[in-house]
Amino acid sequence: MLTALILILVMKLSSSNRQEITGLEKLIRESYAPLQSGVDKLQQGMSQVGIKILGMKEMDERLQAEEIKNNLLSLENMQLRENKAEVERLRSLLGYKEAQEDQYLLEAARVIARSPNNWYKTLTIDKGADFGITVNMPVINPDGLVGKIISVSSNSAQVLLITDREMAVGAILQETRENRGIVEGIGNNGALRMINIPYYSLVRDGERVVSSGLSETYPPGIQIGLIKDIQKEASGLVLSATVEPFVDFDQLEEILVIKSFRGMEAQGSKGV
Amino acid sequence: MRYFVLALLPFLALFLQTTFFKEYPIQGVVPDVVLILVIFHAIFNGANKGTVYGVICGLWEDLYLGRFIGMNAISKGITAFVIGRLQGNVFKENILVGVIGVIGGTLLNSALLFIISLISFEIFNVDRSIFINLIYQGIYNTLIAIPVYIWYYRSSKRGVLREAGND
Repeated sequence: MLTALILILVMKLSSSNRQEITGLEKLIRESYAPLQSGVDKLQQGMSQVGIKILGMKEMDERLQAEEIKNNLLSLENMQLRENKAEVERLRSLLGYKEAQEDQYLLEAARVIARSPNNWYKTLTIDKGADFGITVNMPVINPDGLVGKIISVSSNSAQVLLITDREMAVGAILQETRENRGIVEGIGNNGALRMINIPYYSLVRDGERVVSSGLSETYPPGIQIGLIKDIQKEASGLVLSATVEPFVDFDQLEEILVIKSFRGMEAQGSKGV
Repeated sequence: MRYFVLALLPFLALFLQTTFFKEYPIQGVVPDVVLILVIFHAIFNGANKGTVYGVICGLWEDLYLGRFIGMNAISKGITAFVIGRLQGNVFKENILVGVIGVIGGTLLNSALLFIISLISFEIFNVDRSIFINLIYQGIYNTLIAIPVYIWYYRSSKRGVLREAGND
């Protein structure tokens, strides 16, 4: 009974709002990180062996270069699409305002492990405090928003995916500009849920959902997914919708941590 | 040697869950090998020892996860206690004991985690996928449990997990 009471107390103290994990937790993470990294490298190595056997090394290098180029273009495209929507809106108001082009300071990292249980949707990456990564930094990949950093040790960090049941991200519908919605995880890597959409909203299936930037953690314009299956909530005042994420969370191998972005300094450290 | 293996098992299980099994999820679900080990320890060693082992293994997992430390310790401890209480006079050589234990233990552990999450988390979004995941988790755990139970039974009777004085 005493053990249970102590555990309940520790559980309360170690909620997800902590800024730093304890030395013991860091030690445990650090004991796993090299092993997990080793397995990841082994898997990479094995695929390389296969490629060499087939005499396709050169083709693979070219493919990798094209893939990097493609990723960068996807990222640029994502920003351009949001900028285009903004420009169109400003033009329609016959005013002029300098476009806010977010500039990200990115850190690329490899996914070395996933959550050991099905209650949390987390990833472990191979970079941590030694690379300047801190808690609450947003994480993206060229397809869109992945999540945020929730804990850091020297050589690894844990990413909470937006599909986790604890996650909520302020979102905007890219065409209708409805910005009161919140995208939340439902513990399913193939679907998210957008809530709080006003009943009069012109939202429609296939509309693109991006981060609103109204929350304190994520920069605006990061794409999240596509609206499908809109439903009226019981109260009749708001709508909710399933959001099909752009990111394939089951296949994530590399991610990008946004170490800073324009406007980040003006915002706090905690947010949805 | 027995205690060294008992300590090594959850370490390895967690390592496999985060690396090997992430490559082979069933509908995005990975098995809970740590829970399987806790259930088997309770079956072969009774409620008291099972509870202690469950709390320690759960705590280890919690410390790795770094969120709501104690959540898995409580759920795995209680699961081990219940399984340990029920194991009394069953014939442990029957593999069905392991299979039923794992199915029941998975359901109980998930129900406890669900309740703790609802009480403790600031945000905890619930939908039907939670139950679908539970079904896949039960199936996956059972598949893993069969070979692990055979090994565990043999080790407990004649191998490295045999308690001193049990001849």
